Amino acid sequence: MLATVFTKTTRDRWKGMAIAVISLALLLLMAMSVYRDIDLSIYTELPEVFLSLMGIPDGADVASLAVGVLYGFYGALTLAGLAVSMGSASVAGEERDGTIGLLLGNPKSRTNVLVSKAASMLLLVGLGALALWGTAPLVAGILDVRMGGMQMGAYALHLFVNAIFYGFLAMAIGAWTGKRGLASGVTAGVMALGFVAVGIFPIIEGWENVAKAFPWNYFDNGQPVINGIQWGDLSVLLVASVVLAAIALVGVNRRDLRGQNVGVTLLDRLRANPMTQKVVDRLAGATRVSRIWIKTASEHQGLLIITAYLMFFVMGVLMGPLYGLMDKTLLSFADQIPKELYAFVGAGGGSMSTAEGFYEVETFGLMAPIAVMVVTVVIGAQALAGEEQDSTMGLLLANPIKRSRVLLEKAWAMVVYAIAVGFFTFAGVWLGSLIGGLGIGVGNIAATSFLATLVGLAFGALALALSAATGRVKVAVFGTVGVALVFHLVNSFASLNDTLAAWARWTPFNYYLNSHPLVNGMRWGDAAVLTGLTVVLVALSVVLFQRRDLRQTG
Amino acid sequence: MTDQIAIHTEKLTKHYGDVHALVDLDIDVRTGEIFGFLGPNGAGKTTTIRTILDEIRPTSGKASILGLDSHEDSVKIRQHIGYVPGDLAMYPNLTGRDTLTYFANLRGGVDWDYVDELTERLEADLSKKVGDLSSGNRQKVGLLQAFMNRPKVLIMDEPSSGLDPLMQRAFQKLMREVAAEGTTVFLSSHTLSEVQRVADRVGIIRHGKLIALEAVASLRSKAIRKVDLYFDGPVEASVFKPLPGVRDVAVENNHVRLSFDGQMETLLKVITERFHVLDISTEAADLEEIFLTYYRDEGVTV
Repeated sequence: MLATVFTKTTRDRWKGMAIAVISLALLLLMAMSVYRDIDLSIYTELPEVFLSLMGIPDGADVASLAVGVLYGFYGALTLAGLAVSMGSASVAGEERDGTIGLLLGNPKSRTNVLVSKAASMLLLVGLGALALWGTAPLVAGILDVRMGGMQMGAYALHLFVNAIFYGFLAMAIGAWTGKRGLASGVTAGVMALGFVAVGIFPIIEGWENVAKAFPWNYFDNGQPVINGIQWGDLSVLLVASVVLAAIALVGVNRRDLRGQNVGVTLLDRLRANPMTQKVVDRLAGATRVSRIWIKTASEHQGLLIITAYLMFFVMGVLMGPLYGLMDKTLLSFADQIPKELYAFVGAGGGSMSTAEGFYEVETFGLMAPIAVMVVTVVIGAQALAGEEQDSTMGLLLANPIKRSRVLLEKAWAMVVYAIAVGFFTFAGVWLGSLIGGLGIGVGNIAATSFLATLVGLAFGALALALSAATGRVKVAVFGTVGVALVFHLVNSFASLNDTLAAWARWTPFNYYLNSHPLVNGMRWGDAAVLTGLTVVLVALSVVLFQRRDLRQTG
Repeated sequence: MTDQIAIHTEKLTKHYGDVHALVDLDIDVRTGEIFGFLGPNGAGKTTTIRTILDEIRPTSGKASILGLDSHEDSVKIRQHIGYVPGDLAMYPNLTGRDTLTYFANLRGGVDWDYVDELTERLEADLSKKVGDLSSGNRQKVGLLQAFMNRPKVLIMDEPSSGLDPLMQRAFQKLMREVAAEGTTVFLSSHTLSEVQRVADRVGIIRHGKLIALEAVASLRSKAIRKVDLYFDGPVEASVFKPLPGVRDVAVENNHVRLSFDGQMETLLKVITERFHVLDISTEAADLEEIFLTYYRDEGVTV
């Protein structure tokens, strides 16, 4: 292992982990104080199977509920997200930055470099998990809440192993392809699909075991927070991590390292072919560079295709027939679930006893806004800061165009793509409803998809504003994700606490599903608020971008 | 070249916190002139260019191009300029022609016959993706995008970076041609032979301050030159050392080698009055020597 590479990677990354842990600690403080003030007896009468499915231990208390919500969802995603970021950047990131040649110009092997980066990931994720372990009793102590018999050490270990599995998956993909975006994108997709699958398949009769095909199943399926370390589950993730690490090592040693060389795509081959040259040249060449927004959109078409496919087919079309297959006995219990429980998924009080409620929870609760946000935040963050980071902004602005035009055209690309994701979500759910014979109103599906588009756009506009203000992609992405997580949590807990309910009005999520548009149709006031917020943030972006110096990188 | 001013800076100052990147910079570049802008790394050359292009805003002072304010009229200015940044980066997924088409679209169109002519002269390959080009060939695409709209002012930061010597010559010829047609060229470069070959005047900047602004010929005439003198018999170094403008005297029998900054006429008069000179040769100082003199902290000023 190379001490210098290990130290540098750790030094570059520790701040992100520290910020994440501190944020999670503050959120845990908020969640625990909310649960402390409500009557928890409502949970004790729920069927055991439901408690199990929702990850609530028997005899749930304040601490276990808060930890379940915070660590089981936000904490696990955050820790895994940071591991993915480190894993995908390990070699592919150095290639993208053009520093891999310099790094390997030293008499050190690729294996050494990768091992050092992996060690840094293990250290930081390990420290993060340890910090989360220590935070829970600390927060409970501050609020005078009893921790009971919670096995926080076991839970922290599960959080750690779960996170490093995804980190190594991203590392393996990055090591074989040299593409950081692909590595983190595919891994995030696997994570998201697993999260949804583990929630759905166990309540479909005969399909319960399908959930075992998804890695997320092995994170806290065995409720380690109550039952202690689940060695069987951990073994699956650990063995898979070791295999992925080995695959990464083989991959990074076998292939050519990427320089700025961009390779040959299918479009390039079509452009070179005399038969197709004329048409493809027009589409891939002249049209692509005809306007700033079209060029911006073309740069993110891969992201759109993946996101639109996921929302159309997996979260839309498939969900209809799946709902029909679900265990009706279990669903009959759904009406008994206190609305507070839905805080877990941020569905704003929807109920799984109806098809609308099911789609609201599974498709629109988290996945739809996340899908739109992935597209809008990436475009918004890279719109300006990406060009500055790549040192192309100076050349672009040497042309006789205003900074505001650059910004607005890029914002327009973001709007077009958000609408596209919203449209494919609408089309998928509509088709799923038709196939499953669920009879959800097409107007209501359109309204909900439109609101999902608008809420995603609001966060995209926030990313754009941060990008315009700072010229830094990381600040724009992580800043927006952080704000979105806090807003989501505040809105999800609004029904549990009056103070939070007042605060929730200030979050965009309040204007998304709280009116149950899939049942009640469009509430235009909500759409107006979200649109207004987006417009204000874009206008603010223009002001911020025009006032500051362009960054010089490289 | 005319007496009209194409680029003007007045007390141009840029501070980054405690770092004074530019301090009261006053420069006038005339229309049709090739102006060489020299300075060591971190002297403030790129900051000057980025400020007059409105990429960054001055702490105080102002700049104008073609009589237009660099900030207020930045869009109008950019209709008339061509720019090659020092850290030239383009879009790796676009071909050279796509890149030029993109910028041409942003400019409202260009004369493609002229672009093709330039492409041929610079032997640029526009069919490949920029990311697949070598750094020299990528630089050619950067030069093409700067020249293609027949700009009135060309601002270039290390434009010949990565070009082979033959292509550097072709580029210098192109620069001289457009300057002869009235284009003003602001050339920041470390390729001193290039600046010496093409520039009419040079400005030398150090620690953010302009320390010299002269015609290249004038600068060279004032600079230290090496003088070799051959006499009909042995001479003593002590005879030459006290002479004004003389330094670094080395004597070997009847051969004296010395450095001299001043009027040659004065030196010759003193020497010929006392000795019989058999031969004399001088090496005109090139820009590199002048450049080094100015860059040293103890360097002379003009």
